[in-house]
Amino acid sequence: MTSARKPGQLALRMVTYVVLSGLAVIFVFPFYWLLSASFKTQAQIFVTPPHWIPSHLLWSNYGELFNETNILRAFFNSVVTSSGSVLLSLFLCSLGGYAFAKYPMAPGNNRMFAFVLGTMLIPGAVTLIPTFEILVHIHWINTYWALIVPGAVGAFGIFWMRQYMTANLPDDLLAAARIDGCSEFGIYWRIAVPIAQPALAALGIMNLIGSWNNLMWAFIVLRTPSMYTLPLVIYLMQGEMSTPWGMLMAGGVLTVLPLVIAFLLFQKQFVAGITAGAVKQ
Amino acid sequence: MSASITRKRQGTDGSVGSSTWQQLWKYRHFYLFVSPFFILFSIFGLYPLLFSLFLSFTKWDGITAIHWAGLYNFQLMIHDELLWRSLWNTLVIGLLYIPPMLILAFLFAQILNSQWLKFKSLYRAAFFLPAVTPMVVIAVVFSLIFSSERGVLNYLLLGFNHVLPIFHFKAIHWLDSENWSKVSVAILVVWRWTGYNMVLMLAGLQAIPIDYYEAAQLDGASPLQSMRHVTWPLLQPVFRFCLLLSLLGTLYMFDEVFVLTNGGPGTSSTNFGLYLFNLSFTDFKFGYASCVAYSVAIFVFGASLAINRLNRRNSEAS
Repeated sequence: MTSARKPGQLALRMVTYVVLSGLAVIFVFPFYWLLSASFKTQAQIFVTPPHWIPSHLLWSNYGELFNETNILRAFFNSVVTSSGSVLLSLFLCSLGGYAFAKYPMAPGNNRMFAFVLGTMLIPGAVTLIPTFEILVHIHWINTYWALIVPGAVGAFGIFWMRQYMTANLPDDLLAAARIDGCSEFGIYWRIAVPIAQPALAALGIMNLIGSWNNLMWAFIVLRTPSMYTLPLVIYLMQGEMSTPWGMLMAGGVLTVLPLVIAFLLFQKQFVAGITAGAVKQ
Repeated sequence: MSASITRKRQGTDGSVGSSTWQQLWKYRHFYLFVSPFFILFSIFGLYPLLFSLFLSFTKWDGITAIHWAGLYNFQLMIHDELLWRSLWNTLVIGLLYIPPMLILAFLFAQILNSQWLKFKSLYRAAFFLPAVTPMVVIAVVFSLIFSSERGVLNYLLLGFNHVLPIFHFKAIHWLDSENWSKVSVAILVVWRWTGYNMVLMLAGLQAIPIDYYEAAQLDGASPLQSMRHVTWPLLQPVFRFCLLLSLLGTLYMFDEVFVLTNGGPGTSSTNFGLYLFNLSFTDFKFGYASCVAYSVAIFVFGASLAINRLNRRNSEAS
């Protein structure tokens, strides 16, 4: 039976490879189109039939981008706000998750954790306006804080860290450290955090994507060009009358590149993070 | 429940005399460590939630004094054509993209899960990469690709006419026709989120024990049969989760529509998320916007509870 199936199976596999590769090309194409357009003149971008491969690499789009716009400043703003919110959220979520996982006897632990989970049901759309108003009142509009603090501790992050710490942090180890005279915070910092590194990596990457890509909130709270983050600069570069497409594409490359590199480097942690988080629900 | 068990155990534990206060002091680090969440949640979650409820009954532009409006906002909603239009658009966009996206994600996951396939991580990276990248940039690139006169997509479409003369495609006005703008948004969303759903389903597939497939094979089941009778039922929870995420995602989707079409032409691709954003931060109708956000959130919450209950009853019956 197996021998009779073999030629058919082989053909089926070949077809699968061809179709799958074709689809993979389609999925990657927009990235390629972005990159190649960043090396083309405005006319070349819109020529028919399209130039699939740029005839030569035109660097002037990048030159104009650096000379005529504040792109480096925007890059810096994006780095500051993203790393700020990632680090703050990793610290607070792992601290909370550690407490929920490792002090099961603390009165109210279960009920408080249920409450944390319950807050996940609140849609962001409902709290948007009052959050904006609070930021106005405490004079955080047009500051980095507005992008870093409001989303710093998410219920999901706490849930995620708690699950990991419950499964991977042996109680004996904590007890031994306690006997050795380690402070409670010291146990968290010196034992729990190093062990939880895989979970931290996954959560950190998830947060990074969210904050690096955030357009709406940046659009709402940032007012002066010197504070703009990359997504906002890209969005605003599209003009009512004319759009400098080549420059826009060069800026797009600069915005996409850090995440693509991070993803290719940490692909495993990344996929592991997302899947484990979803399956447990 | 387990909390009460814990408490009982401590009572018989010798620490009989310890009062609640002593317990709280003993576990002060626990409260200290979880306090940042509760503090930040009170400021940026609970207070906004309550304030927004209050705003639902007012008229406010964010600057001048707040006017009590009673139930006026709710009456306004009934006659707000744009609101219903945006909900309708949300539904249509969802119907356009969710089925193809989930089917595609399932097929990708199924293929990537087969043992004979090589270059798995390469394929996975290709399909997943869109979910990682900034939507603004991608939407801008798609507006190039969708451009009706000089876009790549129409160029390829018209190219078909030369290759296979039975086709008579015309250039499609992807972004500037009311009929196609939703389709364009749907294509962008499929491209963006298929890989994400694929990864979730892949994890679901890998959680199914191989024994089940071996048992099915021993019983003479064909690959298609074991897909139907082993994979499909066991993947149901993941599938439902993906569906729920997509439904909510369509309702509150923002970047995709904002950048690609800005809801146009006209209001043909304005979904609920964009409508609400415009209401809040273009028109500054904070009172009415809160009312709409609240009503829709409560409706969605109620609907998902009902669906959940129905599901449970069905699974108990079967």
